[in-house]
Amino acid sequence: MPEHAASTDRTDATVPAVRVEGLWKRFGDQVAVAGIDLELPAGRFIGLVGPNGAGKTTTLSMVTGLLRPDMGRVEVRGHDVWRDPVEVKSRIGVLPEGLRLFERLSGRELLAYMGRLRGLPGAEVDKRATQLLDVLDLAGSQHKLVVDYSTGMRKKIGLAAALLHNPEVLFLDEPFEGVDPVSAQIIREVLERYTRSGATVVFSSHVMELVESLCDWVAVMAAGRIRAQGTLAEVRGDAPSLQSAFLELVGAGGRETGGSLDWLGGTR
Amino acid sequence: MSALDASAGPAVPAAGAQGLVPVFVRLKLSLLRNGLRQSSGRKAAYVSSLVVTLLLAAGQVAGLVLLRGHAQAQTLAVLLMGVMALGWAVMPLFFPSGDETLDPSRLVMLPLRPRPLIGALLVSSLVGIGPLFTVALAVGSVIAVAHGAVAVLIGVVAAPLSLLVCVALARWVTTANTRLLTSRKGRDLAVLSGLVIAVGIQFVNFGTQRLSQAGGLSALEPAADVVGWLPAASALGAVGSASDGSYGVAAGRLAVSVLALGVLLWLWHRSLDRLMSQPDGSTVAAAGPSRRRSGTERSGFFALFPEGRTGTVMERSLRYVARDPKTKAAWVTALAIGLIVPVLNAVQGVGSVYFACFAAGMLGMQMYNQFGQDTSAFWMVAMTVSSARDACLELRARALALLLFVLPYTVLVSVVTAAVLGDWAALPGVVGLSFALLGGMLATGALASALFPYSIPQDGAFKNVAPGQAGIAWISIFGGLLASALLSAPVIALTIWLHLAGHQGWLWLLLPVGAAYGTLIGWLGVRLAAPRTAERLPEILAAVSKG
Repeated sequence: MPEHAASTDRTDATVPAVRVEGLWKRFGDQVAVAGIDLELPAGRFIGLVGPNGAGKTTTLSMVTGLLRPDMGRVEVRGHDVWRDPVEVKSRIGVLPEGLRLFERLSGRELLAYMGRLRGLPGAEVDKRATQLLDVLDLAGSQHKLVVDYSTGMRKKIGLAAALLHNPEVLFLDEPFEGVDPVSAQIIREVLERYTRSGATVVFSSHVMELVESLCDWVAVMAAGRIRAQGTLAEVRGDAPSLQSAFLELVGAGGRETGGSLDWLGGTR
Repeated sequence: MSALDASAGPAVPAAGAQGLVPVFVRLKLSLLRNGLRQSSGRKAAYVSSLVVTLLLAAGQVAGLVLLRGHAQAQTLAVLLMGVMALGWAVMPLFFPSGDETLDPSRLVMLPLRPRPLIGALLVSSLVGIGPLFTVALAVGSVIAVAHGAVAVLIGVVAAPLSLLVCVALARWVTTANTRLLTSRKGRDLAVLSGLVIAVGIQFVNFGTQRLSQAGGLSALEPAADVVGWLPAASALGAVGSASDGSYGVAAGRLAVSVLALGVLLWLWHRSLDRLMSQPDGSTVAAAGPSRRRSGTERSGFFALFPEGRTGTVMERSLRYVARDPKTKAAWVTALAIGLIVPVLNAVQGVGSVYFACFAAGMLGMQMYNQFGQDTSAFWMVAMTVSSARDACLELRARALALLLFVLPYTVLVSVVTAAVLGDWAALPGVVGLSFALLGGMLATGALASALFPYSIPQDGAFKNVAPGQAGIAWISIFGGLLASALLSAPVIALTIWLHLAGHQGWLWLLLPVGAAYGTLIGWLGVRLAAPRTAERLPEILAAVSKG
């Protein structure tokens, strides 16, 4: 495999972006990820959807090398995440959820820091940072400390830091959570432009409308397992929307409130 | 609308003005009781602090009563009250969450007018350990100082007056700074309080030693003369003046305190009024345009750093020393104590030049738990470290950032200590030994950072370890200190041998030997820690993300 892997260039769509085999993670008594297999095609906009606690964050953490799995194999663009970190880490960008940034740096300093750690030359980092700050509408706040940023601004500066080295695969954990509509639209446009170049975006979300409108490939996760994966049309099947297909898949469809709460909205 | 108007109208608060006081006192008592109910640890802490305070208060009263008739009783009483008033003014800035009834923003939604509210808040703030302690001090002071009927009469007024001035001062400081205290800057300030206390203790310690040597309290008389005119303490000063028969001075001093109480209440009223009727501007300020310019390209000092990981990591480490309150507090404490201990001991003539190694030890500690200082932002480091070589560069750069300040500082502390003691012959040896010790600290610090990382909670000045990780922190720091001492043993042994064998002329040899040895073990430690760091990235991230 290594010979083959070494020859893949960034637009070769025959090598999957991510291949996961038998991935397990247990925290104490609780099984967070129960032996999942996934093959995410390259060059697509991929959504990993599931209810809260489904194991999305745990899966993305293991795929990006931030969390060690109990069992299983992860390959990114044909390279093993745990055996070949040099090849993998230079090819991926990550925006995790629930982890801090170096918040006592200003937005621009954070990008300068991340770009230089990625081994880019200083002048190139500064050029890319200026463009990213402009496009993401952060130029006005670039000298403010990240600790004083709003949620939307944090997501945007995190996205900029993840894009800075032009990765082949971008992993975003809940990139639209708590983000205002204007920032969300900006993030969307940047991501769409990025995937048009042949790169892969993998993002997790529990907002089905968003996934349906953005993604062309979807993996549905619930209770630590993959319930379905495939193109949007395959996963949706005959259901009218991804939302109803999803509710069906995770076994929450058709739940009515019934006779309880019948006072709600009645005569006051 | 009419219901709203009625509740805000003049009739209701007028009726409620008297009713408000018991409500707030009961609120204060409930908050105290519920706080205790939360956990047995908190209950134990509260009860023990109550017992300690009561014992201290009783001791204070007893001590002051015993001082009655002593020439310096008034000096002491006035200065103690001055310190107490200062404490009341400063405490709310450092412990803003100490008293929920102090936070006026919690009352904004209630239809209350400032004037009755102030009365009720003032009375309810008299409930608690702090006021009890202050009353004990005031009553004890009056007993110690008051001689004659007029003085006793003034004392009866002065004791409650000084307490009220203290409480009103604390309330005004809190209210005027509510916006600051609930903002990020205020929380940063609270984190720095640990530093003030750590450094303050050193000075208090030194001050008491000085006083016991320098002929006692009479040295403080000039200070007491000034403080005796400052509010809170001036009430007690009035009692003393009346005892001396200078009734004019007594009246003046009492008037100063009365006037201060009035002004403080007015100021408090004004800021409470403003706070409760104007929108909170803290988020507006945060969303505004940039206030500070940070270099677009690497500018000034940082432009001198090398490109690549080394310079980048050094730059971030040093920026964090200046900007992150936890890191800043740890650094300033280490710098201050590292200087105070050897120099103050030298000033008192009890130390040795070798005490200057303390500075190297204190600052070397900053190498420990490097990744814990990053908090969960360590993932950004983990994403860019893919080999032992990357980890080596990362650790080396962090050590270099530390050395950039610690090396000159160690030399400075050694020189100052040697100058104070006049023992220049030992200086090269001390510097050499410091370098060896520093090398040992950096080596063990790098290894401990890789093997025993732990989370540092970001809020609160006194929580430096996340719950459940105290064991790891102790192992890491004390094991590391022991190991550093063992690692520098060859240089220590050489020092002792040179002294014992009478080769004092060769003590300069310790400087190159210590420097070379320190560099060697520091380098070895980083080299050993690097592969372990690179292998354990996910484990380190998990350990430092608990705060």
